[in-house]
Amino acid sequence: MKEKRKGPLSRAAGLAEGMAATVRRMQREREPRVLVYDPTGYARLVQPEARGHARIMELAEEMLSQVAESE
Amino acid sequence: MADTLTPERAAERLRGLSADVRAAVLLDAAGSLAGASEDDHERGPALGELARKLFEEVDRATRDWDTEPPEQVEVQVPGGAVFASRTPRWTLVAVAKRGALASLMLYDLRAVLGELEGGPPIRRSVSAEERAAGPATEEHAAEELPMPELGGE
Repeated sequence: MKEKRKGPLSRAAGLAEGMAATVRRMQREREPRVLVYDPTGYARLVQPEARGHARIMELAEEMLSQVAESE
Repeated sequence: MADTLTPERAAERLRGLSADVRAAVLLDAAGSLAGASEDDHERGPALGELARKLFEEVDRATRDWDTEPPEQVEVQVPGGAVFASRTPRWTLVAVAKRGALASLMLYDLRAVLGELEGGPPIRRSVSAEERAAGPATEEHAAEELPMPELGGE
């Protein structure tokens, strides 16, 4: 089947969709979260309600504060 | 020949690899501070202690999981992120800027630990002008590989 030729408008819309998806992905990646990786690189999320999650976040924030203070 | 990476220089090496690393510390198997990035000698002990506690909490949180103990950790918090990687002998922890790419950070952490464990040193590619003029050989081409080669375990 012949592929439908795209015009400049639909190409621009495609680019905009791609950029919006990238921005959404970057925002999602920066959301507060704890991920752990096993030796094979498999990632698992530590759920926010899980035991230790709050303490892990606290420790990470404290590390960032330490660094920010001396910068 | 490249210098062997020492524990004292590992954190600074990590900072040299990634501009997103704001500070880094290396802990030994006992959890004691073995090295800190250059500007972090004063805050190194405090960061080291927090890094040790971080993996303790991670181990506690994942104790009941039906998986192997985590080797790497990524914690995203407002304003930045903390990445950590460990081997049986060393734990390397980095405080990174907001927006640091997790996959690259974790790769660099693992690469530095691999070098510390005796793997081949990480080489940077050099420009043609910097390299001494000479015949192009496969050996030279191999040296220009931009990707670090991790030692097999």
